[in-house]
Formats: sequence, C-alpha cells, structure tokens
Amino acid sequence: MQTINFSKPLNRMLAGLVLMSLPLAVVGQANSGSVSSGPSYEDILQGFADSSRWLTYSGDYSSKRHSPLAQITPENVQQLRPVWTFQTGTTTRGRGFETTPLVDEGVLYVTGSNNYAWAIDAKTGRSFWQYRRNLPSDLTYGASSPVNRGFGMLGNSLFMVTLDAHLLSLDRRSGEILWDVVLADYRVGYAATMAPLVIDGKVIVGISGGEYATRGFIDAFDPVTGERIWRFNTIPGPGEPGSETWPDDADILARGGGGSWMNGSYDPELDLIYWGVGNPNPDYFGATRPGDNLYSNSIVALEAATGQLRWHYQFTPHDLHDWDSNQIPVLAEIEWQGQPRAVVMQANRNGFFYVLDRVTGELLLGKPFTGTTWAREIGSDGRPIVLNDGSKGCLPDPWGGTNFMPPSFYPELDLFFLTARETCATFVPEEPQLAPGQASFGGVVFIDNEQGSGALRALDVHTGELRWEFTYPSPSFGGVMTTASGLVFAGDHEGNLMAFDAESGENLWHYQTGSRIWGAAPMTHILDGRQYVLIPSGTTLTAFALPEE
Amino acid sequence: MKPKNYLVTNFGVMRISVCALVSLLLLGGLSVAQAQQNNPLASDPRAAGAGGVIFRAQCATCHGADAKGIASIEAPDLTLIWTQDGNTDGSVFATIQNGIPGSIMPAHGFPDTEIWMLVSYLRSIATGGATRPFTGDADTGQRLFNANCAGCHRVGGAGSALGPNLAGVTARRSQDSIASSIREPSASIGRGYKPISFLSVNQGRVQGVIKSEDAFSIQIMDSNQQLRGFMKSELSQMNREPNSLMPSFSIAELSDSELNDILGFLDQQR
Repeated sequence: MQTINFSKPLNRMLAGLVLMSLPLAVVGQANSGSVSSGPSYEDILQGFADSSRWLTYSGDYSSKRHSPLAQITPENVQQLRPVWTFQTGTTTRGRGFETTPLVDEGVLYVTGSNNYAWAIDAKTGRSFWQYRRNLPSDLTYGASSPVNRGFGMLGNSLFMVTLDAHLLSLDRRSGEILWDVVLADYRVGYAATMAPLVIDGKVIVGISGGEYATRGFIDAFDPVTGERIWRFNTIPGPGEPGSETWPDDADILARGGGGSWMNGSYDPELDLIYWGVGNPNPDYFGATRPGDNLYSNSIVALEAATGQLRWHYQFTPHDLHDWDSNQIPVLAEIEWQGQPRAVVMQANRNGFFYVLDRVTGELLLGKPFTGTTWAREIGSDGRPIVLNDGSKGCLPDPWGGTNFMPPSFYPELDLFFLTARETCATFVPEEPQLAPGQASFGGVVFIDNEQGSGALRALDVHTGELRWEFTYPSPSFGGVMTTASGLVFAGDHEGNLMAFDAESGENLWHYQTGSRIWGAAPMTHILDGRQYVLIPSGTTLTAFALPEE
Repeated sequence: MKPKNYLVTNFGVMRISVCALVSLLLLGGLSVAQAQQNNPLASDPRAAGAGGVIFRAQCATCHGADAKGIASIEAPDLTLIWTQDGNTDGSVFATIQNGIPGSIMPAHGFPDTEIWMLVSYLRSIATGGATRPFTGDADTGQRLFNANCAGCHRVGGAGSALGPNLAGVTARRSQDSIASSIREPSASIGRGYKPISFLSVNQGRVQGVIKSEDAFSIQIMDSNQQLRGFMKSELSQMNREPNSLMPSFSIAELSDSELNDILGFLDQQR
C-alpha cells in the first residue's frame, strides 16, 4: 500500500513549482497564485452553499438532491439545450451509466462502467485524464453488474470502489493511485459499486454481493492512510444483538447477505450515518433462515465515530423478494403534527414510502406509493400486514416498486419526488446449492413482460398521498433532482431527460438522450455564471444549459 | 551499444518463443474447438434435467425462469437461439463459458460437464421446430400464400413488411403453433406488431403497429407499411386495439388442407 502524506512540505514544494512556472503562466491566464488543496470536510459540510461545487454523491449530506440554483426556471427551461457530450467508450448492456459526477473548480470527476474514471473539463466536455482498472477475469457479482456510482472526494484525493471489491484513492490532478485497499474477497461473491461517503476524517463505503452467500458490512477508512477505522457487520455474529432473528447457526450468519451497496446519508449534528441494508441470502428461499433476519432490508443509524448501531428499522422482515432497502435515505426537517421534527425518509423497493424520526428511529408514516399487493398497511407494531407472499403474482417484481435511482425532496413544497415502478411477478422459491462464487438466489421469478409501467410521482411527506404523477410507458430506473426555481428534473427508461413544474407536474421540457437513463439522477452546478444540468445515459454524459446571451 | 544489442537479441528470442507459443495454442485451440463442437452428453437423457437445475440457479435471473428473456435488460429469449445466429452446441458452450464481452453476460467458470448440461437443457426447451414432416403441397401453398398472406408477410425477399418475416418459421415453431396463429392471430401479438390507431392533427386517422414509444412520441409502421413517427401531443383518440391487424382465418375461409399447403410452402423457404 502506497501512502501519500498531504502535510505541508508537499504543499510547499508544489507552491514552489508554481512560483517557478509563474512567468509562463502569467501569459496564459490570471492565476490566483495559491495552490489549490481541494475541498475540505468543511466544504462538503456546506453542501450547496457554493453551487459551483457538487462534492458528494447527492450534493450534500442530507441526500435531498435539491439544488438552490435558480437560473433555469419553469419560464425558460424550454430553451435548455445540450452544450457538450462526453463519450465514455465503455458500456454495460443491461445496466446503466449510473454515476453522479462531482465538480470542483470547473473540473468534473466522473466514474464509469467497468471501473473507468475521468477528470473532465466542465466547460467543454474534454477530458484531462482517464483511469481504467485492470480487472481480473473471474469477477463474480461485479461481472454481472459492472457499474459504478461515483467518486467521493477530499482534498486532492478521490475515492472509488471497484468491481473486485477494493477501495482506491486517486490523485485528482492525475488519476494516479495513491493507495489501494481490499474490502473483501471478490471471488466468493463480493463487489463494490457505490460512491464513497466522505465525512470528517473518514471514508465510508458499503459492499455488494447479497445475491451470493456473503455477509454485508459498512466500513470506515482513514482518507490519508487507507487504514480501516471500523466495520459494522450488517448481519450480526453469534450471540450479538439481532442474531436472535436468525437460526442459531454461525454458518448461516456468516453468509446471511445484507449488502450495503448504495450511499448512506449523514447528520453532522447527531454524528449519525444512515444506511440502507440489502436482502438476506438466499434471496427468494427463506426456509433455511426462519426469523426476521436483521439487519437485512433495514435502515441502520450508526455512530460515525465508532460504527456502533444506534437504532434500526426493518422495512421488510424475512424478505423473500430481493427487496434490498438500499434506496438512499433522505434527511429533512419537516413539521410533523405541528412540531418541527428531524426525519429520515425512504421510498422502499417494497412499494411503501416511510418517514422515521431520525433521532430515535420511531416510525411516523408508512404508506404504499405503488399498487403493491404484498401489503397495504403497516400495523401498529410497525410491521407490515402481509397479504401475499409472492406465489400469487403481482407484487412489485424483484427490481422493486422503486430502486436505487435517487429521489429528491423539495423542502419548500414538502414534496418527495420519486420514480415508481408498477410491475407484476410470480416468485417460485427453490433451495439453492451454496458454493463460494456462485450466486444463490434460491428460486426463480416469472416477470410478466406484458405488464409494467413507470411514473414520476410527487408525494406529500405528511400523508404519503400522491400529489401528481407523470407516467412512463415502461418501468424506469431514472433518478430525480429538484432545483429551487420550482423544477423537477427526471430521467426515464426510454432515454428522456425531462423537466417538470414541481407544483403542478406539468411537463415543460424533454430531450431524448438516445439510451435509457438507468440508476442515474441529474446533477447541476454553476460555472462562469451559467447553470449546467448533467445526465449520464448509455455511454454518454451530456451537459445542458440555457443559450448564452 | 551493448545494451541495445542485448535488447534486440533478447527481443528476437522472445519473438521466436512467442511464435512457438502461438502455434502451440492454435494447434491446441483447434483440437479443443473440435472436441467442443459436439455435446458429449447429447445422448444422456438426464443431462437436460440437471442443466435445468443449474439454469434456474444461475441463469434465470436475467433470462427469466422460462428462458424467454427479459426485455428491460436486453436478455435474449434463449428458446430461439438454435434457429438464430447459426448457433451450434459448440458455439453455445463457448458463449456460456466466455460470456459476451461488453455485455451484461459474464463468463462462467463452471466445469465443462455442467456447461454441457446447460447446453442439453437449452436444446430441450428450444421453441417449436417441426414435430412431424410438413406434407402440404408447396406449389398450392405458394399460390395461397401470395393470395392471402403476402400483402403483409414476406418470405425471403418477396412480400410485405407489416407482419413478421416468415422465412424459417417452420424451424422455430410447431405446426400447431403456426396454425393457431393463423386461426387466432389476436391470441398472442408479438412485440413490434401491437396495433394502434389515432387521429393526427395534420395527418388524419392513422392505423398501424407500434414499433417503439416513449412518454412523448410514438414510432409506428402504418397500414401502408410506411415507418412514421408522431409526437403524442399532436394525437387524439389513441386506441390500443386488442385485435391484431391480421385477420383470423376460419376453416371456412382457409381449410385445414389449404393451411397445410401454406405450411408446406413455408417449410420449403427455410
């Protein structure tokens, strides 16, 4: 492992280099004269305060994906047009270009499929450098989902996870590897695809592989040295709290699933990390794992300093449908029954929208946002009243009533915007043969290809009721972003990037990108006084802006 | 100069050994390829059953439990692979083993025997194919085809494009299956042939089959076999018809014997 020390001598040396080259640089452009050391934790903490930046996956720690930028408005959005398109040259048939670019000082930092990555000029779409990881030929989960959702960033370091389950630190100026640490053994079924979450002195990452006989975890690493600070196992060990929801069998616990493959959110005041946990393994076959199977299909609130569990809430006890609960938790301050309340919200793959008190984990609201036939209400004990185990068809399919495509919360309107999927499937469980490196879904699912649709939905967070919707011809994996000018931007499976009036739901603009928008949501930033909206789609990243005056 | 000579010499040696290695690999590769053309389990009746177990555990998530594919992730219908793309046991073995680079289909490190079991399974579920010889009179069938079918269908280069190309259909589907499509075409309408009609602001009433659509637009082939795109905002009275544009042929309109003649003609066009 190579370690780079970012302490002052290096900065001084770089400053010296810049001074030596100043006579040349002066000819080219105005230079601030100081060497950029990159964004600090305090900068990330500021979120959207400086909208020339987008420093973490959702733009800020709350994961609202709600930008204060208001240059593009409902009145002028019809004039929005592509400014440039970047071609990645790498593709994932069957999945998507799922990243959210980060931007700082006019440079976009973008990860792509198959562990490519780039630094791109935000003004022109031209790349400064490209990184490509040499991946082993015997990838497991990573072979079937060779995707990546983005960088984390701190100082001059970028952080990226890999399909062979490593965490890398790259130098943002060159794309060079600063350090490379192993998260888990990819050969047994692990991979990593999420965008690392950088908080004060820690890089938080999760792991994929719940379709294999693996055990999920959430890790914290030292951003400078790459040393692991703590690990939270999403499936408890023998005798640990939560193990009582499993058979008394250490082997089963050691391969209980519970991937942690999407970003969490962070409340700096409570110093709590909120993270979604995936399905238990085998996905569809539950007879060998009687019990609720904590902490699968749960949200966990972890103390950032230690990784200790503060509270949890399980959305789908004893899941039989691959309904990972990795959808990004959205943190907000809302008025709840007349009182201000700090909440965490999640639209879950099981088809329900949830509002929880984020201090205590108390369930405030759980209401279906789809036509789910699995359950229609949550009982007073906080557990779903299950009507259909899946053998009768027409639950949400294994891809869920929504999925990891980011939603957005618009605080001034108290509206939660998400992409809903209406699907129909029949589940047929079957006991799997377990072997390292072999997927163990535990059965098959018949998805009715003839049925299925999608919709952008606006939910009232106080009631979970539908305020408006815009329907798509097929179930979509496109994500959502809102801006303070009253706009909702969303992508769909047919490849459209669209803008809507946030209050009325009226469609105001669309652009056909040429490939479905899958797992990605728009992001926005301002550069030289001009607001850009970016969307990954297929093999392209396209930047949109209003015409220059 | 000495280091450079040394390098050149070394490079020369390296090239020779690489050439030798390539030859060996080619020879070895050929023999392996030859060995892999035929499924050693082809005559073992248990192989397909065992392959089915592997299929449900390893393949069904993407290809569907019925192996008919999942359109939203571009996973193809595996019941059709034997009548498309010139597949052989050996080529299907290689696809499972190596995956399809650049696609979601990964390489699989299964033992050879298990891959052959999968090949046996895929053979066992292949859609259709003749279950008995086509006995109809091809000449009569051609005349009937031209009179009744060629207005919408084609075989080879002749005929029309509103309906599916029927070349090779007798290799893909059984007699009964093709016959029921002729008697009851609306019972199952394939993707790309679902009928629609609407009123266009500028172009009047339009009828055709849906080739593609998104939230804002629709792409069709109209009943004159013209590919046309429309913005949905310019359309009204949009009707997604339950009935196929293909008329159903009752026994009164087309006797069983005549239907068999058409099948005989189609079988000749494989």
